[in-house]
Formats: sequence, structure tokens, C-alpha cells
Amino acid sequence: MPTRAIKAIFYTRFHYEKGSRVLHQVPAGAITPSTSPSALPAPLFQFSSVTQYLIPTQQFCDRLITCCVNHHRIIGYPVCIKEEKKYERNEFIFNFAVVISENEADWACYGQVVRKLGRLLRGLEEQGGFLSKEEDGVWDDDNVGLGIGGSGIDDSMGSSGFGIGSGSKVYALCEMVLEDLNNYAECMIPIDDSNTINLKLFPTRPPPPPVLAHQVPILTMSLAGLQSPISSDLTLNRVLPYINGVNSISRIAQLADTDLSLTRRAVQHLVYYGCLVLLDIFSFSAIYAPTAEIGGFIVDDDVKGECMRYVRTPKLRVGSAASKTTVGRSESERSRDERSSISSSVSQHSETASSTIHISDFDAGENHDVNEDDEWHIEHETLITLYTSLRQGLTLKSWVLDNLDLLSGIDIRRFITFGIIKGFLYRVHNHYPWQWAPPFDHQPAFPCTASLVFHTPTIDSLDNKSESSSGEYPSPP
Amino acid sequence: MAFSGTLPPASNLHAILLVTKSRSLGPRLVFHYPPLSPSAAALAAAKDPTWYRNESSTASVDSHSSDSDWDSSTEADENDDLEVGSRTSGRGSGRTGPSGSRDRLKLGIGGWGRQETIDEEDIDDNHDENGRHRGGDYDWSSVLGLKVDALEKILTPSQDYNKRRFELGVESIVFVGAPMFVREDGLWKKLRRKKKKKSELQKIEDGDLVGNLSITEEESKPEPFIYPPGFEPGYGHESLSVPGSVAPSEAGSDARSNSTAGHDDNPDMTMFNVVFVLNPPALEYQRRVKEMYDNVTRKYAKALKYEQARFQYVWKESKRIIDIKQRAKENGDSISVTWKNLLATSPLAKSIAILYDAISNNKIAHIHFDATFNTSFQIPQAMSTPYLPNALEPQMPGLWLTTSNVVLDEEEAPMTQHAALLLLEDPEILIKDLGGEASENGAAIAGLIRRIVPTKSLLKISKKHNISSHDMEYIASHLVYWRRARLIDPLSQRDTYIVSPNADMNSLPAAASNFARHFPTLPSLPKFLSLLSGTPRMYKSFIPTYEHRDIYLEVLAWLMRGGWVTQLRTFAWIRVTPEIKAQVAVEMEREERIKKAEEARKELASETGSVNASLFSDKRSSLLSDHTARPLTPMKWRRDKSADASEEMESSTILSPRITATASAHHRGSPARPASDAGSNSSQRTTIALNSAGRPDSPSHLLPHNSKVHKPSPLHLKPTSPSLNAVTSPPLPVEEDLLPQPHLFKPSLILSPQKASSVEARWLEAIGKTFEEIDHHHPRHPSYPVNNPSPPKHTDGIMGISGKELREQWPMLLRHLDGKHAIEDVAPREGLKRKRVAVLFNAVREKGWLVVVRHW
Repeated sequence: MPTRAIKAIFYTRFHYEKGSRVLHQVPAGAITPSTSPSALPAPLFQFSSVTQYLIPTQQFCDRLITCCVNHHRIIGYPVCIKEEKKYERNEFIFNFAVVISENEADWACYGQVVRKLGRLLRGLEEQGGFLSKEEDGVWDDDNVGLGIGGSGIDDSMGSSGFGIGSGSKVYALCEMVLEDLNNYAECMIPIDDSNTINLKLFPTRPPPPPVLAHQVPILTMSLAGLQSPISSDLTLNRVLPYINGVNSISRIAQLADTDLSLTRRAVQHLVYYGCLVLLDIFSFSAIYAPTAEIGGFIVDDDVKGECMRYVRTPKLRVGSAASKTTVGRSESERSRDERSSISSSVSQHSETASSTIHISDFDAGENHDVNEDDEWHIEHETLITLYTSLRQGLTLKSWVLDNLDLLSGIDIRRFITFGIIKGFLYRVHNHYPWQWAPPFDHQPAFPCTASLVFHTPTIDSLDNKSESSSGEYPSPP
Repeated sequence: MAFSGTLPPASNLHAILLVTKSRSLGPRLVFHYPPLSPSAAALAAAKDPTWYRNESSTASVDSHSSDSDWDSSTEADENDDLEVGSRTSGRGSGRTGPSGSRDRLKLGIGGWGRQETIDEEDIDDNHDENGRHRGGDYDWSSVLGLKVDALEKILTPSQDYNKRRFELGVESIVFVGAPMFVREDGLWKKLRRKKKKKSELQKIEDGDLVGNLSITEEESKPEPFIYPPGFEPGYGHESLSVPGSVAPSEAGSDARSNSTAGHDDNPDMTMFNVVFVLNPPALEYQRRVKEMYDNVTRKYAKALKYEQARFQYVWKESKRIIDIKQRAKENGDSISVTWKNLLATSPLAKSIAILYDAISNNKIAHIHFDATFNTSFQIPQAMSTPYLPNALEPQMPGLWLTTSNVVLDEEEAPMTQHAALLLLEDPEILIKDLGGEASENGAAIAGLIRRIVPTKSLLKISKKHNISSHDMEYIASHLVYWRRARLIDPLSQRDTYIVSPNADMNSLPAAASNFARHFPTLPSLPKFLSLLSGTPRMYKSFIPTYEHRDIYLEVLAWLMRGGWVTQLRTFAWIRVTPEIKAQVAVEMEREERIKKAEEARKELASETGSVNASLFSDKRSSLLSDHTARPLTPMKWRRDKSADASEEMESSTILSPRITATASAHHRGSPARPASDAGSNSSQRTTIALNSAGRPDSPSHLLPHNSKVHKPSPLHLKPTSPSLNAVTSPPLPVEEDLLPQPHLFKPSLILSPQKASSVEARWLEAIGKTFEEIDHHHPRHPSYPVNNPSPPKHTDGIMGISGKELREQWPMLLRHLDGKHAIEDVAPREGLKRKRVAVLFNAVREKGWLVVVRHW
């Protein structure tokens, strides 16, 4: 993600007599006016209004200090090295700061870089005087303009050729960090035989949500190729093969024979890096309904295309190649396909997948090696009709029965999963009063829902049966 | 990267500091609140590279700091226990009711707090070591774990920051301030300020409802006191100053005389800076800081500046506070005791404390500055969200889920007038908060508030009670802005409501007992929720008898208030069938040909006037070349002849389209066949013959052609149709091979009928025309598409509406069929009866022209 977000990098030093000075700045003229031909026409902000934050009191040294001025955010890490005899006044104070736009949404990663750089430079200075040895003569020479904070050294550098700039390792460091981070979001700068500066801008990610045992993880990218780097985490390696969009976390832990909490943690890592999303257990007795985002799906042809590729099942070749001539396929074959696609989902759900066709082994890119001809063609229209016909109060089971003819070639589990991942479907939870009732208070207060069918007390049906068998009533519908 | 959706309210506020700079004392940290602040290190927890994660630790620190007294270590443990409790209860704690009476929202980042966070032990340890400043009650030299003198220095920026946002980050905590500097002439404001007329928005954001209301703006107040813009008092003041009472006018003159008192050529204080200490999570950083600055920091600093300008308020108070602190320090008093004393003696200290307590709890702060100046501060909260939380992105549970507040189009007239106002608290409490009924204005408003019912739109209420709709709207916006009410679609027993998927089920037990108190005779809350979580049905169907209607609607209002339910609204798109497309394609093709024929004719006429047959045919063929490339066959010649012939008998053809029909039938069997085949994939090809053939009086013509074609109806023959030029102009010689070929088209949706392209507009028109036929054709006529999933039960006069009416209302109706506007909103918008709209909508739906989806 090269964003070129870093507007400038500069190195400020505090001199016990001459105050705070910008010794190096990239690009020239960004902080203090410069006469160099390539300098910016005007500084990004007034140096004097931020000096107290760049070189603060010792209380604030060795902390990340940011301040905003003139629509820029300056991120610095003032470092104060105290060492007797080595330095004048026994202190060496410097700040290596970057300038980004004030409104940069995610600036935490720049803070990390600045902090690391500050600490590294501190170490380098403490080891061998990396910073201070370059300064021989700089402060003596440059008496011009030193009175006013900030316009000194860089000026003379620019005009006098390359007083300090040319051979300066620190200047080169500023330049390389700026260019590399802006272009590649990372950099590796060898300092000497034993030191290398490695920096990388890591985008800030939200903390992962808790991973619960009943959730079903589904990968959003193929991790097969990444197997080796991931392998340092043993749990993760054992868990990975069982993440298929069907197994719940607890099931995975069982199958992989891993500790449940470790499994959750491993999955949480994957969530953190966005390789994985968490779903509910797929069930045909569940109810799914569209959310307000269904409009986005209907409008967006790309998503519909993606959906089509994701949900369609390969055509089955039942037995011989005979069925390959599916151009004018018979109704019976069609419905057989239908049933098998459903049953495959069902059976996978019930973990007896071994005997059925593996159409649901999830890996996003799985489909592309399958010949187009071997796949069902699904109209966008059909997808829209199907998604919009899901609603509250309608179990998936009933929905499937209602729409059997439209579902040919569609993997129902994937169909639902796709909607949930994209956020335009949600699982409707029925709320039964007894869910919250105290245990002894189990009155059969049935809501008027479809679920009534499944919860009808057996007594009733027995009664009905006996009544009908006795011939008093006509058999119940 | 940063969250774009609705964030739970979380001010992340941990302290407020007041810093002044004076000639006599230099930079001074005058006051900070809370007295014992968490250390900056604990807030920042700087060691962890992912700041975000630290939210959990800060949340706990936060809860300490919100307590007035937290120096006992046992209390920390209690707090931890509390958190464990909420941890098991799911995603943080939500608010039970709209009044937000629960003590604190500890939602943590994105809403899950530290629940189940795996690394939590580390954080806890960390927190226990650094998080609290032990023995800090006598530590006068540091605040937030930082040395006071260092803080004083760093928080008094240079003049460059005058009236600008001052934002200083120290690790992941940020100091946000609005520094105010004295003017060079030693004044705190210009002597003469321009009286700006307040904008509507500003008025709403002002707290003073009573004062701003125009009905009550009688000229009885000769010199109304002018608040600085944005600083009218809100409500909930316990103070004696009743807005709208006599006090303002006196105070006005008071203020006037005092404003010069602050004029001092050599003022001691040169700047002050009220600094708010936040630790927003990295991803929410920009938003949280901006919210705090715009709504609280800047406004509060301006209010202080105003007071400073009037009577040196800030500096006088600061001196007093510094003095008291100095004495306490010398006496060796503890900080907490001293702070109690400070709050009792200094209104400035008190106001900062109030501000802190309210804002850090995401509440509204009512600040009483002096007898004449009250104002309120808040960070406005989201009323509703259209988004559903998921496992990866939780959001605040209990937030009202709806799309009805989503602004679709800025230009569109807002629905405010048609919305109802759902008061979030008891009207009597609200009236009391507003200052009671003592004053005339107060009484007027009280009367009005009592009349507000959630089942009637504002428009209806204002009409019924003869209140200007403008006032009504103003009051509504005001109540909404100050979190006293919510704008909703008027509750109706004919609408459908479902349990909101965003309902806060963790607060159910508390809510259930609350519910039982309110409605002792009705079924329990869980029972209601279970009813509403089944198959969506009109609310009416849950009401047992007519007598229960009102109480059931009250229940509905109660459920709405708590975000337990949401209205299920209907959205639809128009589906264009292949038949319509084919039919329109034919029409367009025909028009094209007519145009070309016309041109050709004109050209011909202008040339010499002599009709040369061969020339004519050459012209014609070249003009037609785009869709033909057809060889000149005898057919061609004949067609030309027929063109000539038809020109002669123009009028007769109009009357009897069957002539062309027969002609076409004739060609069908002729060698012309290959020609039409050749064009079959051009998709533009159809026949008018079919049009007439499709008419019931000549159905036989249909059969020879193409039995598969679902005969779009002969719409073009309607004399009123604009596309009729086909008929009024010379009949087309070239038409015979135009065949509607629906199989070449795919059904599609019209996404925004308002902005339909020209083809789409014609489709819509064609659909509209099908409605009328219902009246004219016998039921067997297949006027709806074959693959219609829900075929009409009866074709003539569907559901009590004639096709003609439907056709007339179609252009109105289709404007709302864009999938963004709820059908429920059509009636109020268009001023129709809702029953009527329902009939219209269902009629169109029955005919299969719509893709309908229901959500909130």
C-alpha cells in the first residue's frame, strides 16, 4: 500500500547554546526555508510553533509525541541520552520526526515506525556515537542565522554545497526512510556490520472479536500456499485442515484433537489478519432473511457474478459419461442433481461427508479449473428472486421446498453463506418465552410461528390419532 | 481502515485540565478533574504496539476515574469483578432504555470490550502496576503521572494556536484543547459584536427550546438577552434560572455593564486552555478527537471566553482555585478533600466537574455559568443505524435498526413532517426539565408535548391542534437533538414489526421487569418478543380485541423506544420482462425505420420530385443497410411497392392494422423468410403483425408464426400512446419482418426509475400500458409474463382497482420503486390513503412486475 503519506522527515537536535535546530530535512525546505534548488517553496509549517513539542522537557522525552499544526501531523520521538563527559551539559537530545497529513486516518503505524527509529538511533548513538560524530564542526561553523530558531544549518548546507548533507549518514537515512516507506511501505537500511534498520508500516487492524465455540470459521483466502510460514504455530497447523466452512470451532478442536481454548486463539489470529470470517452453524431449520444491504447486492453486478461463481455446483456426471450430454437434460436428472446438492450440504453438516460429493470443500479459487461447460448457468435474476424470497418466519427447509425448481445447480449452504459473508443476509433468531423463563415455569406458551409444527406436544397428535382411529372424527389434515 | 459505520458512544475522556498563562504566574495548571487521574502510562500502555488492544485496560482505568473516590484498592477489585460480570454477558453492556440510565457504557472498542480477550491477563497485570497512582492523594506535583510543571509548559502553546485546535499526543493519549488568547488590545472580545441571525441548525443545537420558539416570541421582552451563538441553555437545569422568565432582560443589561469591566489595558492572564485528555483507540482516533473538539472542547472554551470577556470569570476563578490549592498544599491536606472544597466554592471548578462527569459517561452536561448563562454540551449520538452487527463487527446492542433515517437524496423533501415523534421519556418529566409550566411559553410547550403521540405524524398533530408546522418541526428537531425523542414512522397497527436483530438481549431480564411494571395486565416482554419474532404479520393481528388496541400500541411504542423491535418496511424494484423488452425493441426499430423512410422520402421529394422506382429502392436499401445487408430480392421490390401503396392509403391502414398483419402472414410463407432469419440475432427485429395478431380478435395470426412467442399485447395501437407515431405516420413497409423475440432478452431490473435511461423509460411506459388492458381483454389474455412467479388471481379489475387507474398512478408509483424508498412512505409523501397505495402496489406486484424485499 504505497500511499506516499509521509510528507517529510526531519532530524532535530537540541544544542545547549543554540537551541533547537533542524539538521536534516527531506525534502529540502519542508521544515525550515532552504535555498537548495529543489527545495519546497515554503515550509509545511512554522518550525518555531512546534519546537517545544519536538524538543520537550525531559518529562516527555523517550515518548511518542505528536502535534498538529497547519493541517499537518508531526510525529516525533524525542530522545534524551544522558552521559557524563561524552556530551556538553551531559545530554544529547535529538528527535527524528515524520510529517504526515493531519487527517491521515490510520497514523498509528507511522507512530510505530518513529518510535522504533528513535530507539534504534538511541542505541546507535550510545554504541558508537552514530549521530554525534557527524556533528564535528557543524555548530561552530554555522553562526549565521542561528539566533532565530530553526533557519540555520540547513540553509548553509544548501548554499555552501554539501556542508553536512553529502557525506551524512543521518541525512541519507532520512532520505531512504522517506522514499522507501512511501514507495514500498517498508525499508531495510544497513548501518554497519552489526546494525540494520528494518522498518515496516503495519496497517492498524481492529482487535479480533472473541471466538466462540459454536462459531463456524470459513477461510476467505487460500492458505495452502502459506503453509510453511504459518507452521510455527502447532495448533494452527493442526486446526487448518478442518476449517471448511462447515465445522464449528468445538468440532474442529475435537477433530484436530487440540485444546479448545488454543483452537479459539489460533482462529482468532486468522480473524485478526482477515483470512477468516466467523459464521453461525448452517442449518436447514434456521431462518435467514435479507438485511438492508440486500439493495447493494441487487444493484451490483460484480457481486452477483461473484455469487454465481461461488454458489454454483459442478454438474454431476452420474455414473457414466452419458449424462455429459446435458444439453437437453431431462427433468429427472435435474431434480436428482438438485437433491444431491442439497443432501451434500446436509450430510456435510451432519458430519457424514465422506460418502458424498465434495462440492463444498471451500477454497475460494477452487472453481476455476472446472470447465465452464460443466457448470450450471445461473441467471442473476434467479439469484435475486431466491435471496429476496428468504424472509423472517420461513425456515430454510420450507424455503428450499418452495423454490426447488430455481435451486438447480445451487449449493444451498454456499448460497446462504455468501449472503451472510457479504452482510445482506442475517440469521433470524426466534425468541421463545421459555428461553428466559425460570426452569420451573415451563408453560407451553407457543408462539404463532412455523416452529409450532416442530414443537407440537406429542400428546396432541396422539389424541388426534386415537380419535381418528376411533372413527369419531375425520383424520386430521 | 478506520471504522466508517456507527460507533458506540464512547468519549474516551479521562480528564479535563484547565491551564492558564498569566504575566504574574506564568503557565499554571489551574485545575484538573477528576482529582486523582489515572497515570498517563496506564492510559497509553505504551509498551503494547497495538494500541487498539489496550482499550480493555483503559476501560477499566476509565471506570476508576469516573468514581469520585477511588483510592482504596478494594474498589479496584470490585470494578474488576464488575467487568468479569459484563464479560460473560456478551458484548459489553448496552443501554437498557433510550434514557441511557444505565450507569456506563463500557463497550470497549467496537463493542466487545475485553470480553474473552485472550491476552487479558497481561493487561491486567500491567494495569495493576501502573494504572493507578497509589498514594497519589497527597501527590500535588503530578497529574496523570506527569510532572505538573512539565504539563503546564507543554499545554500552553504559542499564539499560533489561538482559536485553533490544539492537539498534542503523548503516546496514545491525546490532549485536545482550544487555546484562547487575549487580544492585543487587552480585551477578550471585540467590543461590538455583530448580532448574527441564528441558523436553524444552530437554534436546534442550542439548548433553549422555550426561548427560541417562535410562537412564544412576543415582544414582551424589550431587550432579550443575546446568548453567544451556540450557547443557549439546554434543559435539566436545577438552577433557578427558568428560561423565558424575567431574568434575561435584567441580565442583559448586567452583562452589558460588566463587559467593560474586563477591559484592562494590561490584563494579567494572557491565555487559557481547557484541555481534554482522551485515549481513543487508534482506528477511531480521528473521529473521536474531532467529535470531542467540535462538540465540547471548542464550545466550552468559547463559553469560558465569553464569561471571561464579561467579568474576568476565568481569571478570577483561577486565582481563587490556585489560592485554595496553595493553602491546602501547605496544610498537607489530601487532594480529594481539597477538591470537594473546590467544587463547593468555585463555579468554574464545578462546571468542569459536571462537564467531565457527563461527557465521560456519554451524557449531556448542563452547565450553569452564572445567573444569566446556562448551556448544555453533548457529543451527539447516533439515533439509529441501518447496519446489522456481525460476529466480526459488533456494534452497540439496542441501537434502533432502521433505514428510515438514512438520507437518500439531499434534494428530497425530508420526511420530518410525516414522521411521528417518539418521546424517549415521560412527558411530565420532560416538561419539568424544560422549566415547568410556570411561564407562558412553558405552558404552551407543555401542552404541545402532551399532545405528541407516536401514532400521529407531526403534520397531523399540528393540524389538529392548530400549531404552525414550522414550530412543530422545530420542537421535534430540538427534542431529537437533545436525545429526548426520536423521529419514527408513525406507529400503526397496519404496519409490520419484527424483533430487531440488534436488540440487546442481555438487558432483557431488567427490561422484562420494567415492562411488567408498565403493563401489568399484559403478557410478558419475552412473550411479546416471541410473538414478534415469528412470521412477520401486521401488528393488528396480535391485538386480541378492539379494546386492546390502544394499550397494544403503547406496548409497541415502549418496544420501539428500547430498540426491541423495528418496523419491517417494503422495498421494491421494477422487473422488466423479456417480453416488454422485445416489444419495446420492436417499437423502436419501427420508429427508426419510419424516420429513415421519412427522410428518404423527403430527400427524394426534394431531389427532382420525379419518382424513380429504382432510385427509390437504392436509397432505401442504403438507408436500411445497417440492419440488413440483405440482398435485393424480389421481396425487396415488392416491399417498396407496398410502401408506395400504403402511402396512398395511409388513413385506412391506421384503422385496420390487420392489413399489415395479413401481409406479414403472407410473407411468412414467402421467400422473405431467410431475410428475417438473417436479422434474428440483431434483436431488433419484430413484427407489427404480431401486435395485431396478439389482439384477441385475431388470435389466429399468432399461431402460424411462432407459437412460442408470448404475445406481448398490442399496446401500440392505443390512440393515446406517445409511441403512436408509428401509426400516425405512414405505415411501414419494412415492418413485416419485425418479430418480438423475447428469448433474446433477459429480464432485468430498473434500479432507479427516476433516472431511467430512454430505453428504460420506454419499458416503464410499456409496462404501464399493460395495466390498462386488464379492463379490455378477457381473462384468457396472457397479459402477464409466463414466468411470473405469482400470477394474478383475476385479471380484470385486480383487487378493486381498474387497470385505467393503475395506469394513471403508475408514473407516481414507479418513482418509489427504486429499492431505497419504502413503500410504506409512499402514502404520506404522495398524500394518498395508505390503503389506496397498498392496493396499487399489490396490483402491480400481483402482476409480477416487481422484485420485493422487506427489511428495516
